[in-house]
Amino acid sequence: MAKTYSANDLTANRRLFWIAAIFAFVMMAPVMWILGLSLKNNAELMRGTQAVFEAPYTLVNYLNIMKSSDVFGWFLNSMIVAVGQTVGVLVLSSLAGYAFARLEFPFRKSLFVIVLFGLAVPEQAVIIARHQMFNWFAMHNNHFTLMLPGMSSAFGVFLMTQFFRAIPKEIDEAALLDNTSQFRIFWRVLLPLTLPAQATLGIFTFLQAWNDYWWPLISATKKDMYTLTIGIASSQTNFAQSEGLGFLSAQAVFASLPVVIVYIFFQRHIVTAVSGGAVK
Amino acid sequence: MKRFLLGTASAALLSFGSMASAETTIELQRFFGACEADYGDVTDVSAAVGECGIITALTNKFQADNPGIKVNVTHVEWPGYDQLNAQLASRSAPDVVSMHYSVISDYQSRGLLQPLDDLLASQSIDPASFTDAGLGGVTKDGKMYGLPFDNWTMLFHVNMNMMKEAGLVNADGSPMLPTSTDEFFEMGAKFKAATGKPYLVQILANETAAYARVLYTLLQQQNSDFFSDPSGIKLNTPEAKAAVAFLKKIKDEGMTTVDMDYPAAVSGFTNGEGGIAVNGTWLIGSYEAQSHEAGNAISDGGYTVYPIPQFFGGKDSTYADGHGWVVPTAKRDDEKMEGIGKLFKFLADNDFQWARTGHLPAVKAVFDMPEFQGLPHRDNIAKIAQTGESLPAEVQRQFAIQDIIGEEVGSAVNGDKSIDDALATAEARINDMLDNL
Repeated sequence: MAKTYSANDLTANRRLFWIAAIFAFVMMAPVMWILGLSLKNNAELMRGTQAVFEAPYTLVNYLNIMKSSDVFGWFLNSMIVAVGQTVGVLVLSSLAGYAFARLEFPFRKSLFVIVLFGLAVPEQAVIIARHQMFNWFAMHNNHFTLMLPGMSSAFGVFLMTQFFRAIPKEIDEAALLDNTSQFRIFWRVLLPLTLPAQATLGIFTFLQAWNDYWWPLISATKKDMYTLTIGIASSQTNFAQSEGLGFLSAQAVFASLPVVIVYIFFQRHIVTAVSGGAVK
Repeated sequence: MKRFLLGTASAALLSFGSMASAETTIELQRFFGACEADYGDVTDVSAAVGECGIITALTNKFQADNPGIKVNVTHVEWPGYDQLNAQLASRSAPDVVSMHYSVISDYQSRGLLQPLDDLLASQSIDPASFTDAGLGGVTKDGKMYGLPFDNWTMLFHVNMNMMKEAGLVNADGSPMLPTSTDEFFEMGAKFKAATGKPYLVQILANETAAYARVLYTLLQQQNSDFFSDPSGIKLNTPEAKAAVAFLKKIKDEGMTTVDMDYPAAVSGFTNGEGGIAVNGTWLIGSYEAQSHEAGNAISDGGYTVYPIPQFFGGKDSTYADGHGWVVPTAKRDDEKMEGIGKLFKFLADNDFQWARTGHLPAVKAVFDMPEFQGLPHRDNIAKIAQTGESLPAEVQRQFAIQDIIGEEVGSAVNGDKSIDDALATAEARINDMLDNL
């Protein structure tokens, strides 16, 4: 039987819609503003940003980005680093999470606490030591160095440990009865069950790696090793915020495109990931 | 046969020699942005405009004139010092780096920059050919640690259309500008009464540098020796109080725009939000161009520019900083050093081209060039080559000091703190930082 709605329900829904619409507008306004600025000539914007509401619009800022031969190299660097780091985090966090959740070994609890300490240590506190360490091994200015520090994800290990712990142990025991090896239990039985957590961790890691600024800034100091965030920032003229606002905005839009695409394709997983804690 | 073999060997040696010189690569790291899209192939420097365009064209031209030297340019986000610090720590610093004069002390005091006196002498670059402001900016402990490239400072960018409306124009067509603080308020009141707009367009929001630069200027004009000891600042002085009180009164009496950040202040001037923009040398080119376009408040040539007037009775002085080129300390072969020397010679010889950006030349002779004198408004501001004054060369962490002063003076001007409290706090914070170097 179809549900019937009272007039009060409809009014409440309408109110909810308008509240959501207002919030959506507030969230979208800066994005639309940047998009609008990116379609305007720099000289017009220097006279005043109200020009964004008036024609003509132009793609010249995007064309200028494309004309720089370095941009595609930076884009490729970002892609290599973001994908590499994401794969690394998934592999390491899954293995460590499984070990902490299922295996018995000396100092397991103490080691897990040490890993959790990693959540409380900000990057800023270790950046000098980290930079020096990579320097000793002459490892700056390569892709591996850009992705390696991000692979040791305390959050990833914690998330995967909790997820493995939530899987009933009876599943492992049934596999053990069939003489399945420990690695096969991990690889063939339990790992597929952690796919939602992997998706969550993978998406967050990719977004974080794509947007990372500080570590690439001080590690990738050669132009051909710049990631997109560093390369684009370095292209700005000294007074870009007044004299090159259109170009600056186009760069912001261009740099965020992959993130937007990831969001569009993995929207469901991201929403699940963010709201996961609330529905558990 | 012998002759043939000798000839072949000589030719091989010569070609090897030329190959070796073709391999001389100078790693140059700079801010000023990237504009390869527009200027990647431009070698006609006179056709380039703006900081990025001119420096890119200069680099291209140098390489075209010196086929044996390749200049590999790395752009960094302004100012790029975090990146440079990391490079120095990992001993991978570039060969040539753009650097503000006010920052050179930080690196020179730690032995991270190479003295350039011998290198410049080898290219017949005479230190006396530079302006006092330029030379002073790169000279530390009696040695030159950089090639002076320009000087920049804060200026009075004047909307002549509004000045005419307010009747603040001299018989020769120049704007009437105040010569004392009292005159400032008289003229400001007259301007406001006639135009309904504040006298000044200032960057008062999200800003620290502008406050600090103006404060330094006002202190210098009172002969205040606020950095008599480079390891500590003195701001608890009558001169500092008078300067901040002046800035506060400007705001309190509605003589300035408020709540404008940098971009808003830049466009606010063009849109006629006020009569005089207090902003840097780098805007001269843009404002001049806009004054020849229709549809804005400075159209019909309604723009001119002057140094910040002398408000106090001490001396005519303006705080000035500048851009220079430095060479981080590292082992380099003679060939590379010669290449760097040639590059510096080329940049010094073409300082006029850089002066087209609006920055003041660091090479004295440029001031006498008819081409320079023909640039708009340069005669109005040329005296800054003599009146421009930077902080003492030994003062370290000038960028950080600027931020602290900006924050505290901003608090006082906006009424969040008393003037005494703000100056005392600024002094304590700066001296605490300098004590812990």
